[in-house]
Amino acid sequence: MKKRGLTGRKQQAFYGILYILPSFVIILMFSIIPIILAVYFSFTKYDMYSPAEFIGLQNYVGVFKSATFYSALWNTLKYVIVTVPVQTLLALLIAVFIADKIRGLYGALLKSTIFIPVIVSNIAAAAVWKVMLKTKGGIINSFLGVFGISDVNWLGTKALAFLCICLVTIWKNVGYYMVIYYAGVMGIPKEQQEAALMDGASPAQRFWHVTVPNLRPITYMIVTLGIISSFQIFDIVFQLTGGGPGTSTITLAYMVYTYAFSNQKLGYASAIAVILLLFVLAIHWLQDRVFKER
Amino acid sequence: METARKKISPMGIIGTVLVTLFALICVAPLIYMLLMSFTQLRSLYIRWDEVTFNLRNYYTIIFKNDFGRSLLNSIIVTVLACIWTDLVCAMAAYGFEKKPVPGKEKLFKIFLATMMVPSQVTLIPLFLTMRKIGWLNSYAALFVPMAGAFGVFMIRQFMKGVDDVYIEAAQMDGCPEYKIFFKIILPLIQPALVSLTIFTFVACWNSFLWPLVANTENSMYTFTVALSLLNSQHDTNYGLSMAAATVSFAIPFALYVTMQKQFIEGIALGGVKG
Repeated sequence: MKKRGLTGRKQQAFYGILYILPSFVIILMFSIIPIILAVYFSFTKYDMYSPAEFIGLQNYVGVFKSATFYSALWNTLKYVIVTVPVQTLLALLIAVFIADKIRGLYGALLKSTIFIPVIVSNIAAAAVWKVMLKTKGGIINSFLGVFGISDVNWLGTKALAFLCICLVTIWKNVGYYMVIYYAGVMGIPKEQQEAALMDGASPAQRFWHVTVPNLRPITYMIVTLGIISSFQIFDIVFQLTGGGPGTSTITLAYMVYTYAFSNQKLGYASAIAVILLLFVLAIHWLQDRVFKER
Repeated sequence: METARKKISPMGIIGTVLVTLFALICVAPLIYMLLMSFTQLRSLYIRWDEVTFNLRNYYTIIFKNDFGRSLLNSIIVTVLACIWTDLVCAMAAYGFEKKPVPGKEKLFKIFLATMMVPSQVTLIPLFLTMRKIGWLNSYAALFVPMAGAFGVFMIRQFMKGVDDVYIEAAQMDGCPEYKIFFKIILPLIQPALVSLTIFTFVACWNSFLWPLVANTENSMYTFTVALSLLNSQHDTNYGLSMAAATVSFAIPFALYVTMQKQFIEGIALGGVKG
């Protein structure tokens, strides 16, 4: 009996391995090995046609000497600093307001509507906004023209092009985080709200002292997700500005793509990718620490 | 207390107006996109009362050029990705959660760690790997890697709630292993599979960077890539470009309208991964 049980257990383990095997092969082939290779390539000179040649830290030295890299790094950081707080705050305010004041059918309708941009692809979103932002005859300039504002060259002016990228991102993201926040607001124990109400707390006081503390774990999650996704911005830049004017909207991810697939400098691009990876890991590490402290 | 809640405050009205305004900003570009898609404008300096509206652009997209082909490619890849991801991830989740595999928790941690890695990091080696195995310009290149750690994680979370009693009872009855998985496990985790399908559908349909790099032959473009390249042409037919954007949006939108509840739950679950 005992022996049979043991072989039975062994057999179950064997089945388990068979079940896990396909996903293991996929993750190994298309995720784990590529990560190791990316680190390896970052130490090589490689143009895709002749074999990779080991050159030590030269790519990293080159990257840290490159003005384009600093533009891309600075733009990426700026982009994170602008988009994350704005989208998080908007999502929070809208979620709390709908949950608190516009329950019922109208609230549900608003929620569903605000979520719609989430399912639009970055490329389609950028394509539409690009037409709307056209200097001559674009609907946004036509609208501003009504108020006597002359045509603005949105995507051809450095600071504005950058803002437009942030704008499209925020437009696309708010609904997503709002839905997560809304679920969080609904999970706040009713008694807390009612107790605060009994104590004569104003809506603002209730917001700061009941709602916000209760949503703290969700806020950490949303901020982390936002930072990580903003760090990887590519599609919108590609479609809306192509990194320009000049290098004013180039980002790290965009640089990886252009250096690898337009300039065939795969080793150099890998070095930038590894730097991007280090940033993302640092954010995860920081978030982990913050979570443990709380 | 109830009356305090129900009382219409000026703040409430202003807030409602602002949120409504925001909702309008969310859909206005899409309505604009839809309207433009019925025109053949090459300039935006127009008088709207002189513009004629027709379905010519949609005809072009579906029946002409490589556009119809790219639409078909996207549909095939997305459907394959959904089935493939569901199957591979459900199997792995079942193995991890219900089978006594030695060292499985360590392996699972490695799986989870891969979720943190940005796609640009694996982009170059993935491209070179695919080139080596001859998968560039194929459907496989696009859908096979979609079955990643996130799906395994998500289904495993759900699988924790599946009682072992069902499995044990089936084993007692001498039910073969594959039948336990297909006839007992899969039906029990159906809600998780629906969520994962929705998530995979949207992620795959909207994905851009990898299809752009992996499939560079016209006949193997996905619709999103074709849409993007259409916009980079010089003599842009704005109407055609907006019609393509509309089609690209319409397909996930149809899914959203029909399965709104599961959709939002699925996406919110996806939020755990990002």
